Amino acid sequence: MTARTDLLLWAQRIVGGKNVPPHQLLELPPNATLDDAQAAFHKIAKRAHPDLHRGGLTPDELELVTTAYALVAGAYQTFRGQLASTTRMRPVGRADSGPVAATPSGAAPATNASQAMSPRALVYYRKAELALKRGDLTGALLQLKMAIGADPASAFLRTALVEVETEVRKTS
Amino acid sequence: MGIALGIDLGTTNSCAAVATPTGVEFILGARSERIHPSTVAFPSAGGVVVGADAKRFRLTEPTHVIHSAKRFIGQNIRSPLVQLALTGIRYKVSEGANQQPIVTVRDRRMTMPEISSHVLLYIKRCAERQLGTEISDAVITVPANFTDAQRQATKEAGRLAGLAVPRLINEPTAAALAYGFGKSRDQIICVFDFGGGTFDVSILKINGEVFEVLASDGDFFLGGDDLDRALAEVLAAECNRALAFDPRPNPVLMMKLMMGAEAIKIHLSENEGAEGEIDGIDLPNGQVGSLPFQLSRAHFEELIAGYVNRTIEVTNQVLMQARLSPGQITDVLCVGGSTRIPIVRQRLAEVFRRDPNVSINPDEVVAQGAAIQAGSLSGALTSGSGMAQRDAVVTDAYSPLTAPTVPVRAPVARPVLLDVNPSTLAIQTAGGFVERLLDKNAPIPIERSRVFTTLRDNQTRVEIDCCRGESRRFTENEPLGKLVLDQLPSKPRGDVKIEVSFRVDADGILHVRAADPESGVRQEAELHVIGAPEKAS
Repeated sequence: MTARTDLLLWAQRIVGGKNVPPHQLLELPPNATLDDAQAAFHKIAKRAHPDLHRGGLTPDELELVTTAYALVAGAYQTFRGQLASTTRMRPVGRADSGPVAATPSGAAPATNASQAMSPRALVYYRKAELALKRGDLTGALLQLKMAIGADPASAFLRTALVEVETEVRKTS
Repeated sequence: MGIALGIDLGTTNSCAAVATPTGVEFILGARSERIHPSTVAFPSAGGVVVGADAKRFRLTEPTHVIHSAKRFIGQNIRSPLVQLALTGIRYKVSEGANQQPIVTVRDRRMTMPEISSHVLLYIKRCAERQLGTEISDAVITVPANFTDAQRQATKEAGRLAGLAVPRLINEPTAAALAYGFGKSRDQIICVFDFGGGTFDVSILKINGEVFEVLASDGDFFLGGDDLDRALAEVLAAECNRALAFDPRPNPVLMMKLMMGAEAIKIHLSENEGAEGEIDGIDLPNGQVGSLPFQLSRAHFEELIAGYVNRTIEVTNQVLMQARLSPGQITDVLCVGGSTRIPIVRQRLAEVFRRDPNVSINPDEVVAQGAAIQAGSLSGALTSGSGMAQRDAVVTDAYSPLTAPTVPVRAPVARPVLLDVNPSTLAIQTAGGFVERLLDKNAPIPIERSRVFTTLRDNQTRVEIDCCRGESRRFTENEPLGKLVLDQLPSKPRGDVKIEVSFRVDADGILHVRAADPESGVRQEAELHVIGAPEKAS
């Protein structure tokens, strides 16, 4: 199959699809990160950006590719928006997610991550969350340790660390 | 498509170039100048004069010389900013159809695109003479924050000049393209474009041949013209003090002071102080006198501090929108003549904690980028097309001294420009709130749709109000126009479904479509954009 028919088939699939979730249009798994989405979008842009196909396609074909590309760009915007709104604190130390280790200070974990640690630590904590979402336990562990390095006083972070360490032991 | 030009159609000056296998070649005017003033004169002797020659008529026939047309193109004449800008010009502008500004010169009524088309036509003729071939296509650059109507009007100007415009590209993006094309290095750059009439900041990620705009913002009523005006006011006050009369009601005199102000501004970029006199001041007693002036750079900097602060404020906003810290920017490009002012460069250096890149020519880099994009779209791009030897940006990878003497003609990966939508596009929903369809800084071309329904039983007509802006309340945004859907099926409320899709094409122009997704009945409706030129049928 030539690149041209390949492109046209792709465009037809995008334009013909109804109610396709945005991650599918970008050919991504549902739990993809922002970086994944950007890389996927760049890949599609390099192949399907309508500017690259001027002259190579008939006007109708170009219109089809442009529409498909525009729809994917819309999906990229939607996906980015969803990611921004779902990157909420997932309480790692929830009671129903297994045994909760007592925190050294005995304090209950705060429900709001942003209040439970310094802003610097929060950055790492968010990364840990994303790693957890991907199922990358070692990555999450590393990011949590970085977070504790940034804010050693946060009981919340230590609770989360114990949680993740338990998970790591369970899987290994 | 034959040879396609790249044209930087500026507020005060324009510049054009064409990509050749050996580099970008600039289009020269009648006196071999690369920069063409965007001035159109209709002298008493008849005819139309454009460019450097037109500027000469500013003093003799100020009301017949049209300048800064870009400030009014595609604008709603009732907007307060336009009204403010109208106070600074001497030619006659009145309200025409669809609230667009109309220029009246010597009993001829002309739209703004018509004025701009004279500039484009002049450039087209120069290019045809220079290249010895007919030119039918041109990529034209526009400020990144230009609205839909302004873009449509610019395309219309191209059409009137007999040019097909395959693409409008944003000025900062064009500058980044000229800077990054053929370097294949990964970078995040900030383009600070402070021109004669408009101001833009864009942050781009260059990743091989992909140029992705991460965020862009600006102010299209902020430029060198405003600095001149501020300085002219000081000169007018000085005139009042030294010569004991107010020059402000006299248009010719004010034009003289504006020209003096521009000269002083340019002088102060190189020198610590400016001293001299402006000759040819017509005194109220009929004699001709001269106005002495003495101005230090520090005084000038104090005078323009408000404008400079605004540019820095916008720069910080754009950094925030891109979610980047100043340290992550690997280079800062200065584009536009106003970036020659030392205080502007100094303030930029303070923000980014690095000296801005001033090795590029701020007046010409945008036209270079446009030429590269024009070459790419017409398929005429080769790896040698980037920079002509003498205009080259000196980089680690490329220097005019080490450039091969034999031009490289190998085909090259076409650059992919991922530009962005300049402001959020939304429609009004119940309660005066808006439903956002296309976000600011979303990549273009882009299309998104939403399904809406009727509010009342048996409602057969729906009006959809479109607006642009970042507010959640409709009235706080800039209205774009109305989309009217007639002859809907008569059904109970909520039963009629209307799918409204917004598409912004690669030129940044909005297309709105509405359809009934259930029955598949397409109701094509045209959005009537306020201030836009009439659509050619």
